Amino acid sequence: MLFVLKRIGVSVLLVWVVATIVFLAIRMVPGDPATILLSQGGVAPDPAAVAQLRIQLGLNQPLGMQYVADMHRLLVGDLGQSLQDQTPVAGEILRRLPRTLELIGAAAVLAVLLGLPAGLLAAIRRGGAFDRIASWLAAVALAVPIFVVGTLMVAIFAQGLHWAPAGGYVSFARHPLRHLELLAMPAATIAIGLAAILFRMTRAAVLDVSMRDYIRTARAKGVAPRRILARHVLRNALMPIVTVLALNLGSLLGGTVLVEYVFNWPGLSGLLVDAVNARDYPEVQGVVLVISVLFVALNLVVDLLYALLDPRVRHG
Amino acid sequence: MQRLRPGPVVAVGTIAFLALLVPLFGLDNPLHMDIAHRLAQPTLAHPLGQDAYGRDVLARLLWGARVSLAVASSSSALACLVGTALGLAGGFLRGPVEFLALRGMDVVLCFPPLLLALLVVTLLGPGAPTLIPLLAVLYLPGFVRVVYAGVLSVRTQDYVEAMRSLGAGRLRIMLGTILPNVGGPVLVQFSIAAASAVVLESGLSFLGLGVVPPAPSWGLMIGEARATMMQAPLLLLWPCLALSVTILALNALCDALRDAVDPHGITRRRRHGGLLDRLAPGLLPAPGAALELAGLTIAIDTPSGPIHPVRDVSLRVMPHETLALVGESGSGKSLTGLATMGLLPPIARVAGGAAWIEGRDVLRLDEAALRRLRGATVAMIFQDPLSSLNPVQRIATQIGEAVQAHARSPAKATWRRAVELLRHVGIPDPERRAHNFPHEMSGGMRQRAMIAMAIANQPRLLIADEPTTALDVTIQAQVLELLAALRRESGMALIFITHSLPVVAEIADRVAVMYAGEIVEQGRVAEVFARPLHPYTAALLASVPREDGSLAEAIPGTVPPPYALPPGCAFAPRCRFARADCSSGTLALTEVMAERLTRCRRWSDLA
Ligand code: SF4
Repeated sequence: MLFVLKRIGVSVLLVWVVATIVFLAIRMVPGDPATILLSQGGVAPDPAAVAQLRIQLGLNQPLGMQYVADMHRLLVGDLGQSLQDQTPVAGEILRRLPRTLELIGAAAVLAVLLGLPAGLLAAIRRGGAFDRIASWLAAVALAVPIFVVGTLMVAIFAQGLHWAPAGGYVSFARHPLRHLELLAMPAATIAIGLAAILFRMTRAAVLDVSMRDYIRTARAKGVAPRRILARHVLRNALMPIVTVLALNLGSLLGGTVLVEYVFNWPGLSGLLVDAVNARDYPEVQGVVLVISVLFVALNLVVDLLYALLDPRVRHG
Repeated sequence: MQRLRPGPVVAVGTIAFLALLVPLFGLDNPLHMDIAHRLAQPTLAHPLGQDAYGRDVLARLLWGARVSLAVASSSSALACLVGTALGLAGGFLRGPVEFLALRGMDVVLCFPPLLLALLVVTLLGPGAPTLIPLLAVLYLPGFVRVVYAGVLSVRTQDYVEAMRSLGAGRLRIMLGTILPNVGGPVLVQFSIAAASAVVLESGLSFLGLGVVPPAPSWGLMIGEARATMMQAPLLLLWPCLALSVTILALNALCDALRDAVDPHGITRRRRHGGLLDRLAPGLLPAPGAALELAGLTIAIDTPSGPIHPVRDVSLRVMPHETLALVGESGSGKSLTGLATMGLLPPIARVAGGAAWIEGRDVLRLDEAALRRLRGATVAMIFQDPLSSLNPVQRIATQIGEAVQAHARSPAKATWRRAVELLRHVGIPDPERRAHNFPHEMSGGMRQRAMIAMAIANQPRLLIADEPTTALDVTIQAQVLELLAALRRESGMALIFITHSLPVVAEIADRVAVMYAGEIVEQGRVAEVFARPLHPYTAALLASVPREDGSLAEAIPGTVPPPYALPPGCAFAPRCRFARADCSSGTLALTEVMAERLTRCRRWSDLA
């Protein structure tokens, strides 16, 4: 229990640090942030607009006051208003977040289904044909950037073969089949890279655990190989695999930006790219905060999961 | 450092070379537009055709390499410099510097990389001047951690302390001692940073937030080619290919560097050879022996031919008997035990000889038959009970597994049997202890649990590999007593592998002394200890710490490794009695008196 509380405490602290950095980032930029945000292509912005933006961002108040006000707003879930259309940022994020999570979730399931058994098989038949082919494929999959995979998928499966739509989104409620059809390609795009990582990790973890003394003990007891694999090797190999999966899901939270962009998937990331292009700082700040909090939360979940899997951690 | 695989180095070198030399190729200006020939097919002047603005694709591709690699290498170099400095400072100066350096890196790692990049681009606008420091910050944590860890491991080593006490300046110590030691890992980190910088730069450029158009960049080219992918699919293909091949090469370089820096050398493993039967001596085992080894030889294949860490080991253990296998580490005694169980590590193989357990040659049994034997007829306990027990299984489950491996047994009964076995090996409150995980038990308790596991099926032969080495003296005595008691009541044979002569005196009936992979002397413990017939045994006895406190004589020199055995008698270089003729020919283990065997030419001069 103490362990859980400690981990939660650390996570809360991290979230606070992230919020503070995001707060400071805009204020540490040399020059007046309002002027910077409004300058487009080197044209000096309208002074009236700058003055108004300063008021909206609260830049006219002392730094300490700004900070307290900012943190207070965050605590009640207010992420400010978009500079583009003055709508609340939090509402827009809430509308788009589930779509991003759905994409990541689907990709993770696909990747686990593909990468885990493949890694296991490769480790068992180490040095065999399957191992060599799969390892090679994984190396290639890791070398092709995610947006290249996505773009090529669109070029081949949508434009070339007309198997799937090039991109877009309909809600599941309105059109379930179409929804899944549109989900397939972006999810597969993310899954390919993730599956490659999982494959490598599973293979390495299984090989590593197989060398351990307690596996030798199990063999010395005369335990059947299949049972050794299921009860001793897999169980212990699962821990590093879970860690890697979770850490990569975290960076996927960032990496989906590219995939959502390629497939026109209206998730969080599309919002982010638009906001960056429009230099809509409150919106960027909101999205970055939310994703970072998710990232930290994910790490927390991993740590707790780890404790569940490994009795040693609970006492450490 | 191991040898670096040349393939990836050549690949990355070629790409870098091309990028560096682009200006000399006399290609078109990559920015020169020619709208009249937009999307033109390849011609002699434009081997890969022209893009949507009529620009030469080949030129843009090669110049794009330049941009990608320039951004990647300069940001990695920056991260490397700053990160190394921070890691050194944190590791060596400690205190607040250490705290700031490490926690600062944790904060950087709080943000998914692409997000942090987007945040910064919003504020500072796109372009290389933003990109390079930004990427540098993202890859900083890797360098700081690697260098910091390197400093920590080196800092505790004696020679840094020694240099410090000699008064060498702090800075000089830092740079002179530590940098060469962390050089390898830093290089690996550099290649990782460069590879992911290429990925991130291209991704940002693809979104239009990295390199600013019209400068050529692979990410930008892919982004632009998307609009015309139906008319000109090749425009999409070329930059995708260039980017992926570059990353593939960089990744391969990372792996190669990591392998080269990794201190654990990779030895090739080979399958069991069919030579076995040819080399087996055509003898039959003595009737009634629990174990008989005849000419057991173990080989490890290395790139420069096989080495033999165990050679021609022959011994016999009868029921009710305890045989001690004694030797320094590296004498081959543990490998001998493992071979008897068919549990040799993958790099080692049996190259000859036979091992009969109750009349069956275990070296010729298949894995399924071996499995039925292991844990039932013959069992083994290992030196380190903590690493030898599964950390995530309850102790009774692990003991029960030994029972269930050889007989059908319902879960409840198995658990009860495990508890009973725990009680049998003297663990107090076994009902409660049964639920413990290994890390919740003391060292002595863990070893008792291991023993419970080994005797679960009343084996005829128990092999104990240094079972008391990891324990303190009191616990050691208790475990020895337990083993002796178990042997007495069950009549099993016991092979006790140890390096400690006092332990031998306490537990064993007979002793076989091993040196550099061979048995050099064998006989009854009392007789061998009273009158050793081999100089090595005599030297070992003389090196045991005396109870009266007088100084023991250490044996000069070290055991020769199996790849550098001296000719003739392996002990000759360290032997007080060595003569010229000791270092030639082969020496056999000979029975020179009743039940006394020795492998020495001058045994009769020893007394
Ligand atoms: S054979 Fe010679 S060198 Fe070897 S132990 Fe005997 S006396 Fe020493």
